[in-house]
Amino acid sequence: MAEYYGSKVVDIFNTMPVRFKPDGVKGVDVTIGYDILGEGGGTWVVTIKDAALKVEKIAGDLPKCSVVMTADAEAFVGGALGKIDPGEAFASGKIKVAGDIIILGNVLPKAFEKFTPIVRARAIVESMVERFRPEKAEGVDLKIGYDLSGEDGGAWTAIVKDGTCTVKEGLDPDCTVTMRMVSEVFVGLNLGKIDPAAAFGSGQVKIEGDMMAAGATAKLFKKFEVAGAEEKQGEELISLKCIPSIRHRFATGSHMGKWFKGLKEKKFYATQCPVCGRTQIPPREVCAVCRVRCDEFIEVGPKGTVTMIDTVYYASPDPLTGKVRQTPYAALFLVMDGSTPSESFAHELNPKDLDRIESGMKVRPVWAKERTGSYRDLLYFEIDD
Amino acid sequence: MSVCRNINTKDCFVMTGKMALPNQYFAGRVGSKFIISLRDAKKILGVKCPKCGLVYVPPREYCEKDLEKLDQDQNWVELGNEGVITNFTIVNYNDKHLPRRAPYVLALIKVEGADTPFAHIVEGIESEHMKIGMRVKAVFAEQTTHTILDIDHFEPIRA
Repeated sequence: MAEYYGSKVVDIFNTMPVRFKPDGVKGVDVTIGYDILGEGGGTWVVTIKDAALKVEKIAGDLPKCSVVMTADAEAFVGGALGKIDPGEAFASGKIKVAGDIIILGNVLPKAFEKFTPIVRARAIVESMVERFRPEKAEGVDLKIGYDLSGEDGGAWTAIVKDGTCTVKEGLDPDCTVTMRMVSEVFVGLNLGKIDPAAAFGSGQVKIEGDMMAAGATAKLFKKFEVAGAEEKQGEELISLKCIPSIRHRFATGSHMGKWFKGLKEKKFYATQCPVCGRTQIPPREVCAVCRVRCDEFIEVGPKGTVTMIDTVYYASPDPLTGKVRQTPYAALFLVMDGSTPSESFAHELNPKDLDRIESGMKVRPVWAKERTGSYRDLLYFEIDD
Repeated sequence: MSVCRNINTKDCFVMTGKMALPNQYFAGRVGSKFIISLRDAKKILGVKCPKCGLVYVPPREYCEKDLEKLDQDQNWVELGNEGVITNFTIVNYNDKHLPRRAPYVLALIKVEGADTPFAHIVEGIESEHMKIGMRVKAVFAEQTTHTILDIDHFEPIRA
């Protein structure tokens, strides 16, 4: 029967009773019809009523249902496995829904655990090549036959020779050892769900040939692990994402307006306190020491003296652009020429001077070609030599 | 404005813009279990400290008194959906981030079996009739938001 992404359509219906969560569907009374088209498809009716589940395969037309899903087999399996986007499958017409579509979104996730692929004997046998441990197989020369009955069975031979392992279809006529069992038992043994000693003792596993070799095979291979098993065991964790957008409005006020106009003209304006004479750069309306208005502007700079260097190695995103800055970079604290020495002004250092910069050095501003009246009009300061 | 009378404002300008702040909130293992229980089972879960016996809701990973780790299965306790108002306030202003239009009642509610109260909305009562000690019950939300608002609000239990 056709497999899609390693699973069959019937797997999804057959595992429904195991995946069913009665607690999730209290008071729910729905019938869901499935018409799965293509190879491996068919018609099913799933009834959920009084917290009980009934899954029936139907021959012929669907009876009246609360909702009917008509789907391409591949899209149906892919959707159940999360391999394809249900939205796209709807848009492309691979999945169609008639009736109360809300049921599919609201009831189904509460009614069933997520479908995880059924492990089949073939996948286990074929993975032996990858699971082979050559370091444990020095000098080993073995042919191990697997004769597995049942719907998902088959016959394979694993050949271990010269530190390699190959798997071929069918039983080799001169197998060192041949193991016969129902494929479900083989899967159970490999998943650790069936105890090997019990399976052998109860006759579920029949071994022909070299019994010692049969016992030795286990150490030649790593344990079979189900792909995505961690996801199945993992607990659901809640993480919420949102992008709040914040409107902002910045009014320069009189003094910062003058400051930005100065930058546009390659000038640094400071205010000077009429009482104590100290300068403030960028300009501020009030002297915080004397508590008087400062409405007198003087031009300072454009060069300054470095008083402190703050080198940053941590790459933090720029809040305005979201881009992560190149590190390291350095912020400089400067006393501009003509300022009172207690008032420093901070700006960035030209990265090319990172290795040479020292306190006490003279620096000069580097201006942007196009200036608009913003902090970006000033690119950075660099050593004035 | 009178204060600006003597100020030269010819260079002033205003900038407006919009900032997007990509944000992710992780509820944590303990927080996730609490919210999933509200969402799927409509049950309020707490954790009980095995040492001091205090029952915390919302549940937390450590006891703040004796630093016991609380997230093991045996410490989880199911609490009642009814509780008592231990304090409340009336929210009288509107803001984008608030869950309701003003005015609404925000109360601290200690549910049955819990030792710590938590804040939630109380509806179905005029604010002037609110009283500390009043009994209320949880009304669960129909649509999940994966937050504490999976309890939509609490409402008074009429005697």
